Amino acid sequence: MSGKAPKDPRFPDLSYTVLDGARSTRVAGGRTIEELEPEYKIKGRTTFSSLFKYDPFDFWVGPFYVGFWGFISVLGIIFGVYFYVNAVIINGPYSIPQNFFAGRIDPPPASVGLALATPGQPGFAWQMTVLFATTAFVGWMMRQVDISMKLDMGYHVAIAYGVAVSAWITLQILRPIAMGQWHEGFVLGVLPHLDWISNFGYRYKNFFYNPFHAIGITGLFTSTFLLSAHGSIILSAAQYRGADSGDIEDTFFRDVQYYSVGETGIHRLGFIVACGGVLSANMCILLSGWVVQDWVSFWNFWNSLPFWSGV
Amino acid sequence: MATMTPPSGDIKLGPDRNGRIGKPLHLPILENLGFDSQFGPYYLGIWNVAAFFFGIMFTFIWLTVMFSQVGWNPVAFVKYFVVLQIDPPSALYGLSFPPLEEGGWWLMSTFFLTLAILCWFMHIYTRARALGLRPYLAYGFSGAVLLYLVIYIIRPMWMADWSEAPSHGIKALLDWTNNVSIRYGNFYYNPFHMLSIFFLLGSTVLLAMHAGTIWALEKYAAHEEWAEMQAPGTGTERAQLLWRWCIGFNANAYSIHLWAFWFAWLCGVTGAVGIFLSQPTFVANWFQWGIEAGINFPQLPPGP
Repeated sequence: MSGKAPKDPRFPDLSYTVLDGARSTRVAGGRTIEELEPEYKIKGRTTFSSLFKYDPFDFWVGPFYVGFWGFISVLGIIFGVYFYVNAVIINGPYSIPQNFFAGRIDPPPASVGLALATPGQPGFAWQMTVLFATTAFVGWMMRQVDISMKLDMGYHVAIAYGVAVSAWITLQILRPIAMGQWHEGFVLGVLPHLDWISNFGYRYKNFFYNPFHAIGITGLFTSTFLLSAHGSIILSAAQYRGADSGDIEDTFFRDVQYYSVGETGIHRLGFIVACGGVLSANMCILLSGWVVQDWVSFWNFWNSLPFWSGV
Repeated sequence: MATMTPPSGDIKLGPDRNGRIGKPLHLPILENLGFDSQFGPYYLGIWNVAAFFFGIMFTFIWLTVMFSQVGWNPVAFVKYFVVLQIDPPSALYGLSFPPLEEGGWWLMSTFFLTLAILCWFMHIYTRARALGLRPYLAYGFSGAVLLYLVIYIIRPMWMADWSEAPSHGIKALLDWTNNVSIRYGNFYYNPFHMLSIFFLLGSTVLLAMHAGTIWALEKYAAHEEWAEMQAPGTGTERAQLLWRWCIGFNANAYSIHLWAFWFAWLCGVTGAVGIFLSQPTFVANWFQWGIEAGINFPQLPPGP
């Protein structure tokens, strides 16, 4: 907490303080990776060394940090890529370069329900790829937790990545379970998964009328807008040679649009908008077919609201 | 110990302060959320005023015509708000000016909307110049402006048919987006649409990555990006190492914003190319285009 008294007693200063000396570490022009990296390569401070006092994979390979979760993730990547490449590229129906675009792994047929396919049965390669991809994704997220612990950071990067993984889990695991069959998962393959998305939208009549889809798309567009605005103002400020260097971004946006969200604010807002858009997109998929069959007639409730019946 | 977001105190005005009106307002609770608490003062420039004037003209025509469509019944106006729309002139009129009720209102409102957008572009361009900044915000906005111009002005005029442009209305805009994809053989096979979606989703990923990294390092002052670019400190070093250790390479406090700028800009520009090419003269059917390009195989080949 700040040593100073809050300027307004109704709004106590709850913001935590910049760690002592963080600013004094600044080096004009910066240090090279070779100069700075050894200082940060310390042993321990991972999930496994916190829980069990020992992390068998607490080392780096080239620039990459491994850790226990890196090990899990690499296993998932190797086996997932094996099943995918084997079914889509090598044994696909076309030539190998064409298989890259058009090769596909279909989910199990509806008759399989939520059972597990055995080797050689249709859907086995899909289930294995999904299983190992999910392992790789979750392992990768936990590896980000490990790296964040090591660098004494918050877990925001792992959380944001977890939101992206939640979209995969919603589509391939949660919604198929809610619908009672793995058949509801999406087809793996470059063009085939686009076909699946296109068909999915029209299967529920018109996805443009799905309000969670609308909120999700709004989140993506707003993210792109915020990224453009933030990226461009920092590029501008980097080349700025006038007075008030630290404040020029705020001055500019106050002039342009009355309000500048500030240098902590833009990163918090961006994080919330990007993650929120994806979470809403999860809802729009999960509800389709499970709760709502038809997004066009979904809106019938609007016309039959009691206070404007007869209008 | 320094406070993370020090209260702004007196506003520091940059050069060319003329035109700012009013006093700054403060909403201190925003500081506790990490957002800046200061609103204003208001800058009143000619392009700003012009943009708002034309924007209000567009909104006024749009709302008034839609209001007239429900017989000036306010309850019906609210009930049917999202499905009311102003249609562009039908194809029969070509590029000539039709009666107001048959597309004239659409032409007039679109004219004002376009002026508003172009004036806003001039507003952010001239304001950056006046403050001594290179106008990167205007450069970035140009991607969105190009997409708008292609959809509403350039492509319809090229095809000599205003009815190719979207109607003004909430549902109408969604329907146009849906229908243009179907009419030109499914946009999922349009490679520029693929690129635009790639940059749209990529922008969201980049924003989450960058914003998450900086938010996670606020206690190490990584959010003071101007200072961190001049002299990187431990905050930026940790941010760089996180991505080096995670994905094997990293940007720095300056170059991540280059990535950000180009991803967001290219989203609009590639989308504009994809829309413009979708017309009978160039590509009438993207599904068919995909077959000819060798990426779309509607039928499996016969077995051995």
